[in-house]
Amino acid sequence: MTPRLTTPAAVAAMLVAMMAAPARAADYVQAPGSSLAFATKYDGEVFSGRFGGFDTKLRFDPERLDDARLEVTIQLAGTSTGNADRDSTLAGSDFFNVARFSRATYVAERFRAVDDGYVADGTLTLRGVSRPVALHFTWTPGNPALLSGRATVKRLEFGVGGGDWADTALIPDEVAISTRVFLHPAP
Amino acid sequence: MTLKNTPERWGAVSQALHWLVVLLILAVATVGLVMDELPRTPKYFWVYTAHKSLGITVLALMLLRLGWRLYAGGVPPVAGTPRWQATVASATHWLLYALALAMPLSGWLYDSASGLRPFRWFGLFTMPKLTGPNEWLADRARDAHELLFLLLVALVVLHAAAALWHHLIVRDETLARMLPRRRTRTPEPEDPDHDA
Repeated sequence: MTPRLTTPAAVAAMLVAMMAAPARAADYVQAPGSSLAFATKYDGEVFSGRFGGFDTKLRFDPERLDDARLEVTIQLAGTSTGNADRDSTLAGSDFFNVARFSRATYVAERFRAVDDGYVADGTLTLRGVSRPVALHFTWTPGNPALLSGRATVKRLEFGVGGGDWADTALIPDEVAISTRVFLHPAP
Repeated sequence: MTLKNTPERWGAVSQALHWLVVLLILAVATVGLVMDELPRTPKYFWVYTAHKSLGITVLALMLLRLGWRLYAGGVPPVAGTPRWQATVASATHWLLYALALAMPLSGWLYDSASGLRPFRWFGLFTMPKLTGPNEWLADRARDAHELLFLLLVALVVLHAAAALWHHLIVRDETLARMLPRRRTRTPEPEDPDHDA
């Protein structure tokens, strides 16, 4: 479970931790123009959507992968797929249930280099369920730096689209996620 | 009864198309009003498909009907009809044709622009999409579909009321000549205990 920043004790602990660890040059925060999208299909009809918003914090140095950390907060309310009926269904209890779970989080602390970039073996917490999700990405240094990544999320593991919607012949279990995050060095 | 229309009455083809379209429009309108109240889950999507399928059937029959009307001609108003009544009746008829075509077309456009799922006519074959997903167009098409429906209801009421007025009040052949069997219009004896 991720620490909740709602109690004074948690905030104090966080502040102490921040003061104890000197800021690193490889700390980044999300810059404007970033995108996080998903794509799936209904009865063969492909559609894609964007989440209501997301925020990325990254510590990354290709030379120090063991020290890397990625934390993404995804706002589920306001998810838009280009159809108001579909959007309200997605926000409803059968899918994201934004009334109870307004946001999802993705936290990764284990990174490895692969042929075409990197893989973060992180944990996605969505709809109150936490499961491992691998994020494949490429890294383009600069200011802003660019993290361009893909992941596959099995929606049914998280109870997204249960009940009447569980039939994978209508909606495949695997949802494609793609992201392009521009990153500024943290102030 | 002849297939083609005569100056006295509508032929079998015009009558069959007229009453078939009446039944289909009643069915498609009923389903359309009911489905708005249904939960939007796959369990009930067959109701939407039924509505769309009935609508496309109306569209196909109305195209046939329009062709037949242009080929076989209409039936002139019964003798003695005032000119203004004939004009209003004729305008109503052509507007009904236009609406019975525009309703399914706007629905089809709404379905296409929504881009939610494939539309298979009664589950038998996939209908082509008129356009790709387009939320703005979908909203406009839906508005048009609702507005045209209200217009259609108003015109159907006018049309049916006029037919019944001819039949029950004026007691002429206007309605009878759109009915399969020729009803001989022997005036019934006035009977206060009998509801006509």
